[in-house]
Amino acid sequence: MKILSLDLIAFGPFTGTVLDLSAGQEGLHIVYGPNEAGKSSALRALRQLLYGIPERSADDFVHPFSKMRVGGSLQSAGGEVLEVVRRKGRGGTLRSADDKSALDESALERFLKGVEAGLFATMFGIGYDDLVAGGREIVQGGGDLGRLIFAAGSGVANLGAVMEGLQAEADALFRPSGQKQKINEAVGRLKQRRAEFKDAQLPGQEWVRHELALKEAVQAKAGVEAELAAAQRSLSRLQRIQEALPVIAGRRETLKALETVAGAVRLPEEFGERRRDSLTRLRVAQSERNLAAANLAVLGKAVFELEDPSVLLGQAEAIEGVHQDLGSQRKAAKDRIALAARRNTLRTEARQTLRNLREDLALEDAERLRITKPEAVRIQELGAEYERVVTRIDGTREKIPEQERALAVVVARLQAFPKPRLVDDLRRRLAEAEEVLPLEKQMASARSDAKAQLQACGQAQARLGLSATPLQDLSRLPVPSIETQRVFEDRCDGLDRRLASLVEEIRKTEADLAEIGRRLDEARLVREVPSEGDLAAAREARDRGWRLIRRKLLGESLGVGEVGDFTASCPGAGSMIEAFEAGLRRADETADRLRREADRVAAKARLLADQAALRDRLAKLAAELTAAQREKEAAAAEWVGFWQPLSIETRSPREMLQWLSDFKILVEKTVEALEREAEADALEKPTDDCRTSMALCLQALSEPVEAAETLSALVRRARSLIEKEDQIGRQVEELSRERVRLAGELDSARLRLSSLEEDHRRWQGQWEQAVQPLGLGAGTRPAEANAVMEELKSFFDKLREAEVLQQRLEGIDRDAEAFSRKVAMLASAVAPDLAGRSAEESAGELQRRLTAGREAQSRRQALQKQIDQEQAKLRKADGAVAELEGLLKAMCAEAGCKESDELPEAERRSFRRRQLEDRLRQEEERLVHLGSGSTVEDFVKDASAVDPDGIAGEIARLKEEIGRLTAVKSELDQRIGSERTELGRMDGGDKAARIAQDIQAIIGGLERDVEHYARLKIAGRVLALAMERFREKSQGPILRKASGLFNRITCGSFDGLRTDVDPDGNPVLVGVRNGGQETVPVDGMSDGTADQLYLALRLAGLEHHLEANEPMPFVVDDILIKFDNDRAAAALQALAELSKKTQVIFFTHHRHLVELAAKNLSGSSLIEHGLE
Amino acid sequence: MLKFIHAADIHLDSPLVKLGAYEGAPTGEIRGATRRAFENLVQTAITEKVAFVLIAGDVYDGDWKDYNTGLYFVSRMGRLREAGIPVFIVAGNHDAASTITKSLRLPDNVRVFPADRPATLRLDGMDVAVHGQSFGTPAVKIDLARSYPAAVPGCFNVGLLHTCATGREGHEPYAPCTLETLREKGYDYWALGHVHRREVLLLDPPVVFAGNIQGRHARETGPKGCVLVSVDAAGRPTPDFRPLDVVRWEAAAVDAAGAENGHDLLDRFRETLSKRLELNPDVLTVLRVTLEGETAAHDEIMSDPERWVNEIRAAVVDEAGEHAWVEKVKLRTQPPPAGGRKPDGAVGELLALVDELVAAPEALSSLAPELADLEKKLPREFREAAESWRPDDAVWLKGLLAEAKPMLVRRLLQGRRDA
Repeated sequence: MKILSLDLIAFGPFTGTVLDLSAGQEGLHIVYGPNEAGKSSALRALRQLLYGIPERSADDFVHPFSKMRVGGSLQSAGGEVLEVVRRKGRGGTLRSADDKSALDESALERFLKGVEAGLFATMFGIGYDDLVAGGREIVQGGGDLGRLIFAAGSGVANLGAVMEGLQAEADALFRPSGQKQKINEAVGRLKQRRAEFKDAQLPGQEWVRHELALKEAVQAKAGVEAELAAAQRSLSRLQRIQEALPVIAGRRETLKALETVAGAVRLPEEFGERRRDSLTRLRVAQSERNLAAANLAVLGKAVFELEDPSVLLGQAEAIEGVHQDLGSQRKAAKDRIALAARRNTLRTEARQTLRNLREDLALEDAERLRITKPEAVRIQELGAEYERVVTRIDGTREKIPEQERALAVVVARLQAFPKPRLVDDLRRRLAEAEEVLPLEKQMASARSDAKAQLQACGQAQARLGLSATPLQDLSRLPVPSIETQRVFEDRCDGLDRRLASLVEEIRKTEADLAEIGRRLDEARLVREVPSEGDLAAAREARDRGWRLIRRKLLGESLGVGEVGDFTASCPGAGSMIEAFEAGLRRADETADRLRREADRVAAKARLLADQAALRDRLAKLAAELTAAQREKEAAAAEWVGFWQPLSIETRSPREMLQWLSDFKILVEKTVEALEREAEADALEKPTDDCRTSMALCLQALSEPVEAAETLSALVRRARSLIEKEDQIGRQVEELSRERVRLAGELDSARLRLSSLEEDHRRWQGQWEQAVQPLGLGAGTRPAEANAVMEELKSFFDKLREAEVLQQRLEGIDRDAEAFSRKVAMLASAVAPDLAGRSAEESAGELQRRLTAGREAQSRRQALQKQIDQEQAKLRKADGAVAELEGLLKAMCAEAGCKESDELPEAERRSFRRRQLEDRLRQEEERLVHLGSGSTVEDFVKDASAVDPDGIAGEIARLKEEIGRLTAVKSELDQRIGSERTELGRMDGGDKAARIAQDIQAIIGGLERDVEHYARLKIAGRVLALAMERFREKSQGPILRKASGLFNRITCGSFDGLRTDVDPDGNPVLVGVRNGGQETVPVDGMSDGTADQLYLALRLAGLEHHLEANEPMPFVVDDILIKFDNDRAAAALQALAELSKKTQVIFFTHHRHLVELAAKNLSGSSLIEHGLE
Repeated sequence: MLKFIHAADIHLDSPLVKLGAYEGAPTGEIRGATRRAFENLVQTAITEKVAFVLIAGDVYDGDWKDYNTGLYFVSRMGRLREAGIPVFIVAGNHDAASTITKSLRLPDNVRVFPADRPATLRLDGMDVAVHGQSFGTPAVKIDLARSYPAAVPGCFNVGLLHTCATGREGHEPYAPCTLETLREKGYDYWALGHVHRREVLLLDPPVVFAGNIQGRHARETGPKGCVLVSVDAAGRPTPDFRPLDVVRWEAAAVDAAGAENGHDLLDRFRETLSKRLELNPDVLTVLRVTLEGETAAHDEIMSDPERWVNEIRAAVVDEAGEHAWVEKVKLRTQPPPAGGRKPDGAVGELLALVDELVAAPEALSSLAPELADLEKKLPREFREAAESWRPDDAVWLKGLLAEAKPMLVRRLLQGRRDA
């Protein structure tokens, strides 16, 4: 197959781009598309034309899916050509060349020869990635011959990866000694579950054993529990008695002691307490009385001894005022020293400042230097203005040279422009030509229409059998008109109808006749119907007999012959009489039948009449039929006569109608086509004229014009020329405007500068005037003037501060004098002894004396309060002594004593009696408790029956017994518990069943994995077998070719290839160099060389394939980008060589490869295509 | 009116065979299926207030040794005892082989027929006579029915028998009998067990195989359960099937003929699936999916079978969630008859080799050694159970090879279609 053209109708970035691949013997077609030009899209389009556009295509960024189309024209090896269009979609995507109808995919089969999409891409395509992958595989595979030959023959670049993939997937599933692989892991899991399953199962005997054991243990436990209860009861009784024996003895003792205190008075329990309390309180009251009297004596003496401070206290307020003023006096004296020092310092500083400003002036004359506020402001304003004026002058001076430079540049650019060409004439011509342009298109379209139509007419003509007649003569052919045909058709139809109706009528008439004949036969067969003639004959026979009989009756004699005749005329009659009677009967019968069968008679008569009429009609119809047939033959002959001159096969008028209408259409179409042709001719002249004048005009503008250039091409050129000139004009105009603008700006800058300089001069005069009061000259700068003003301000500030301090010092001296006077006056009033002391000393002493006076006053008040309290205590103690003595007397009466001294003995006896009664009660309570329900007397009796010496031994024995029984019981409890646990575990649970289900799950999963593993292993094995077989079959020819190609592509660096054996004895491929002396293993080749080896093998495989198979286009995608120029050229030559056997389509992004091909390949084998 | 239940072939605790789990499969739902089905049986007996329950053999699975299964059975029988329902059992071949039956004490409402002779057991307070005989050994080859006692006059007579009847495919030929023998006994109902497929052998009197109560593998398809027999006043029995199963096996065959591609095929499967699911709304349906027929999608499917099996599982998870499980997907599609000629070249050589191997089974056996390593490692349970492991079988190898071919071609030519 060869691809004649690839029509990128609407695909990827393309709209209506056509790659014409028909050139060349088969052709090495280099399709160049720079990046983004859609090289890859074109490559995809080529494959998708043949095999369909995939569901998800990225080539819809310009044309939506519904509009995507790739067209193409294919040629089979046998020369058959197929034009198709491929659209995107789910079905019916292969379409006829006009995209109007779907084609069956089988239409392509004849061209593709069973090569499906994957195989086409793999075996008949090679890309850069394949080359690299193939090269890498060669190196990694160590030259394995089977792999290399298979890769060469299939185009599968990653064969090693496929084989390893199969192996790796299988290995991930299973390895003979693995653990973690899916199958190994599942088998391991299965084994583990199997063991668990074994453990989870519960054997039947075990359950029975445990159940029996449980039952026995429960019974045994019941027996032990009964024994244990009895022993515990005995133990408890003995223990109670043992505990009660000392109590019983104690009770006996208590009863005896009670008898000794039987007469004692039972005093209340707190009686003793009360007595002791009363006595104690009496003693306390007596001692309080004595103490209060002593205290009163001491206090009276102390009051008497105290001094009287009342005079001093009368002046307390004045003394305290003086003492307070003393603090502020002391502070003022201290401040005065610091203030005097500060005043002196300020005066010194002011004097210093003045000396710096004006040495000639004394401090007192300084006032002359003071300037007014407005004068100071004026100096500051002028200083600020100076800055403004100077800055603007500097700025303007800098800008002027820049503007001069810019102006010079614009002027230079203006001068550099070429002189504009005058294109007004061309513009006029173009306007004219644009009017004519549609005519040229119209002409082309008319021509192509005419051509297509004439071709269609020619085909129609052949179909009509008129090939011999020239097309333009068709309309003059003596073809019968459609009207004539209609007349003939009607005539023939009329005749046919008539013939048919005649035949039908004859058939019907014949059928009627037959029917009548049948009915007549039928009537005859039933019985002959008598006729009137029959009746007349019967009557005649009767009358003849009657006449004979009458003659006999009348006595006439009858001739023997007469009678004999008559008798004989009636067969069966023996006598004349009998003959007469028979004749009479027959006549009657005939008459009766005639009457009776009158209908049948009439019917028969009618049938006979009808029969005659039908026969007449039949004869007439036959004659008409013959006439009609003759007429039809005549008409047919006449029809044929009409067609004689055309010498085509004449059919019936109806059949010829189609021919006539086709002919009519043909004639119309022919006329139309010829008209179109004429139209084209008519348009040619104005177009040509226009083109010539356009060409002249262009030449006048020194534009060369080629003869083949169409009007539209010239129009395009004219448009672009005018466009260009217009652009130049626009640029010149713009620059001129710029020049004017710049010159104006420069002038105004110069003006501004002179006006600024004038401002500066005016300022100078004002400044001189302003700084004069400061004693400064005209040359003083504003900053200096400001500094002098600052100094003056500081000088005046210091003088003012010194003045304020002087006033404060005078105030302090006044206050000190007033204080001294006030103190002296107070001292003479309250403390004349202080006269002659300083004011400060006197004020301090007065304050001290006031404080001592106040303390003496408060002491006197405290003593008076104590005297009051002691008198109150004395009164209270006297009351208490009397009350307590009464109370003690009452208590003696209660205890039956005369004196309170006897009270303690009465209390002791009462206490003893009460104590013994309590003990007895406790003992009896204890016995009731131990007797466990019996009365005290019964229990004492029961206890006395027991041998006190044997009781301990018996208790020990019982305890031992109980311990033994408890141990047995506990053991039984444990046994019951463990048996219950065991049985509880055997609860009918489904653990084993669950594990069994899990095992089935593992088997189920395993089954899937095992199947997959088997598939992978078998696939790997089959692939290896196929590789080996292919190697055996194809090794020789492929290696021979590959060796030559390798030599060529490596530019002789290698002599070729040959087979060798690796250390393991496997056949491998090696490179040969230096005249066969040196072999290079493939893993010793550089990446580039390995790539070239792969290419050599692929091309060899392809050539080998082509020897036995029809060619298929070989699609090459930019494989040479990493080859150096020499090897790339050699590879291109090899591809050119291949292109003699099959079409080679080489896509590339690289311009230099196209150039390299152009340089190294003869023109005939290389066809270049651009995608731009 | 009298009602009783006839069940058989319970095979308590025997697992559902080869249900390999996969992502999204409702693994929890298949646990303890036979127990849950048995619970359903007990519950049905109680709800329907039946007079008695008949179990026609094979309560246990023959080689099942876990006594817990027996204890569980006893506990369920205890529930029937509480409900006042007696149970009559004949031991089947599996029960005879089971070690569980030897020492298990059943509650007093359960009566097991003797194995040494046929016997007639009467139901207290009712005119019902049940005749039966247990299997004493796992393989009973004689016709037990022949020596069953004559019908008791005035009673409703039931024959309880574990039998292969006249022989049933896939079932051991134990205690064979003819319908004639059964009819001649003059009983009113014959409750048969042993054959797992439900079948009514005779209408008058009804001779019925109840089938098992829970399907356990892919060949036991459709609803499984017991027969609820109602006896009217005139003593005429009417059997009525009651499904008890909790997991239902179904074969879902998808006709792939004419499917354009894999997704087309998947759509067809979804249709089949939703029909199946509609049929079994209340139980977990376990599907064995078979794709068969000539289809253009064959190569696409076979070139990556794992993927398409997963697609089908995903469709089931999607559509049915917890209600369905894919037991296995059998890819049995065929490619459409080849148009055009075979390609030449190396790939052609490979395809030709595959065709040759498929045509010559003896050559196939040369592939078997590839699997020898695995063969050695496969556990006993697997080799006994697996259908898809027969490395000695040429047909099996052939199938495998036919599956491997598109996979191989895809790998060799992968990714090149639109490069």
